[in-house]
Amino acid sequence: MKTPVLSKLLTVRSQNWKDFLINNGIYIVIALIIGIIVIHEPRFISIPVFRNILTQSSVRLILAFGVAGIIILQGTDLSLGRLVGFAAVISGSMLQRADYASRFYPDLPALPLIVPLIIACIVIGFLSGINGWVVAKFKIHPFLATLGMMITAYGILSIYFASGAPGPQPIGGFDTRYTQAVVGTFLGIPKLVIYAAMTSVVVWILWNKTTFGKNLFAVGGNPEAAEVSGVNVTRTVIMVYVFAGILYGIGGFLEAARIGSANNGTGFGYELDAIAACVVGGISFSGGIGKVSGAIAGVFMFTIISYGMTFMGLDQYYQYIIKGVIIVVAVALDNKKYLKKT
Amino acid sequence: MTKRIVLILLAAAMMAPALFAGGRQESDQIRIGANIYSFADNFMNGVMKPELERYAQVRGVRIDIVDSEGQQARLNDQIDVFITRGVDVLVINLVDPAAARNVIEKAKQANIPLILFNKEATEAGVMDLYDKVWYVGTDSAESGIIQGQMMVEDWLANPEWDKNGDGILQYVMLKGEPGHPDAEARTLHSVKAFTDRGIQVQQLALEADPFWSTQHGADSMAAWLTSQFGDQIEMVIANNDGMAFGAITAMKAAGVSIPIYGVDALDQALTHIADGEMNGTVLNDGVNQARASLDLAINAARGNPVTQGTDWVLEQDGSKAVRVPYVPVTIDNYQSFR
Repeated sequence: MKTPVLSKLLTVRSQNWKDFLINNGIYIVIALIIGIIVIHEPRFISIPVFRNILTQSSVRLILAFGVAGIIILQGTDLSLGRLVGFAAVISGSMLQRADYASRFYPDLPALPLIVPLIIACIVIGFLSGINGWVVAKFKIHPFLATLGMMITAYGILSIYFASGAPGPQPIGGFDTRYTQAVVGTFLGIPKLVIYAAMTSVVVWILWNKTTFGKNLFAVGGNPEAAEVSGVNVTRTVIMVYVFAGILYGIGGFLEAARIGSANNGTGFGYELDAIAACVVGGISFSGGIGKVSGAIAGVFMFTIISYGMTFMGLDQYYQYIIKGVIIVVAVALDNKKYLKKT
Repeated sequence: MTKRIVLILLAAAMMAPALFAGGRQESDQIRIGANIYSFADNFMNGVMKPELERYAQVRGVRIDIVDSEGQQARLNDQIDVFITRGVDVLVINLVDPAAARNVIEKAKQANIPLILFNKEATEAGVMDLYDKVWYVGTDSAESGIIQGQMMVEDWLANPEWDKNGDGILQYVMLKGEPGHPDAEARTLHSVKAFTDRGIQVQQLALEADPFWSTQHGADSMAAWLTSQFGDQIEMVIANNDGMAFGAITAMKAAGVSIPIYGVDALDQALTHIADGEMNGTVLNDGVNQARASLDLAINAARGNPVTQGTDWVLEQDGSKAVRVPYVPVTIDNYQSFR
């Protein structure tokens, strides 16, 4: 083992900056993008912009944390968007203003906000838990299991959506308690940002300081080894999916109020944004690897790109190209990083 | 193996009610095969589909409405199914307005009358391919013209809307799906209403969104409000209500209020108008489009002249179209649309 050490010492200089680039690729890209935007539009560096980017990232971050756990298990979750939409419709349907003309439940009294939130989390946690059960019990690839759920959930969601008193109408006219609890500010900080920060802390603790977290990374890294060393793989997998579902429930609850309306199309495509943010943030599809900070960086990066482009008034078709290229480049860099370590 | 059989039986059992419902039919009842281009579309799914179903019941005909999921290929397959099942008439909402030729030829080959609705064929001359095809819809340009007229009236009546006093309207546009005939026509004609009256306009920004989504409206507006032209925006033009709802939410969050107009007159839009958060919208009269579609379909299925016994009028310009007018909706009249 002497030669590798020697050669490492010899190449340390040229390796250094390469490693630095590879390990911090995403932060460098973010800095570059911000730099380019600021050169064109110095106003980009301002408190309202900063606040908006944080706010627009908040729900996405909560959702990304949900799917991040599943990706760490070597999985993926295509049903995320529909489950979020379902949560948004459930929450919205129960929290409309009393004087709103076309209420989903015409005679529903004003509920404490926590009630629809809990209902959404239970329903979505349950549906996502089914994903976990199918994946763990029947060894079905998560892509397929969640593809099935994506379609099924859309059906259930649409039936529920159409069952309201006014028919399948967008659900709006939310109770001001609800919108204030979501889009309001606390000590000048948007509440959404506070919720996202709280979620980040909870997820960080779960991943790093609990047995659940240890099992998550163990099963994600090597399920067989985890099984042998006494981890209940089935239970871990189901718990990860249920937890993801709860986060989707929270995300949907917040999203309806954030955008001011919910329908059965809400959430469509969110899964791809969330998954892209995770992989760009270094949460590896090969499983067992991922950091809270990575998910945060990934989500911010995409929000900064779309916000910055809209801000500059650039044609949004370019956004798609840039985002697409970044995803592939980020994953390529990532592979390099981990190939080296092994 | 037994497990698999049990599962398959279970799945079959779950589908049985649907199958039996399909089997129950009176022989002389008119059967209509219909689609909605996408159930994810608020307006099509929320206004037209319920009215098609309700009015079919009133008229005593049977209608099956399928979801084409935004894919023309799916719609073509569904039409094949309808034809093989022997429907009496097809009521079709094209996914891709440029794909009408295939649909018309399918109907012609099966000799089944065809009513196209809400999305008009763009290819010139295709309506002449078949003597039993008609169109029910609107005049895409009209929604933009009406929206534009509303905006011009309000603009002239409220000189303070011209924030910088330069006599030029600075606006932002939420466009919707690029290439969609409505999106294109509204983008063009709403602004043209100003220039036709000699009012100069300046477009500060335009965002297109293939899904016409509320979320996109909210995010775009939030970004615009913080941009270098954020405080110059004098009007927000949204080509549908859904995107306008998002923009309204973003404006509220930023504590500003800018005149904003939509199209569709959804319930939520009426409430925003009542609350003074939205200045106007245009009723895309889905209810009457649905009724006209069915009235024509039933006449066609019976072999009668399509407008017989109805108030609908066929255009005389060779388009074989019944055009249902758009209606402007403002604070003055919104209550009559509830």
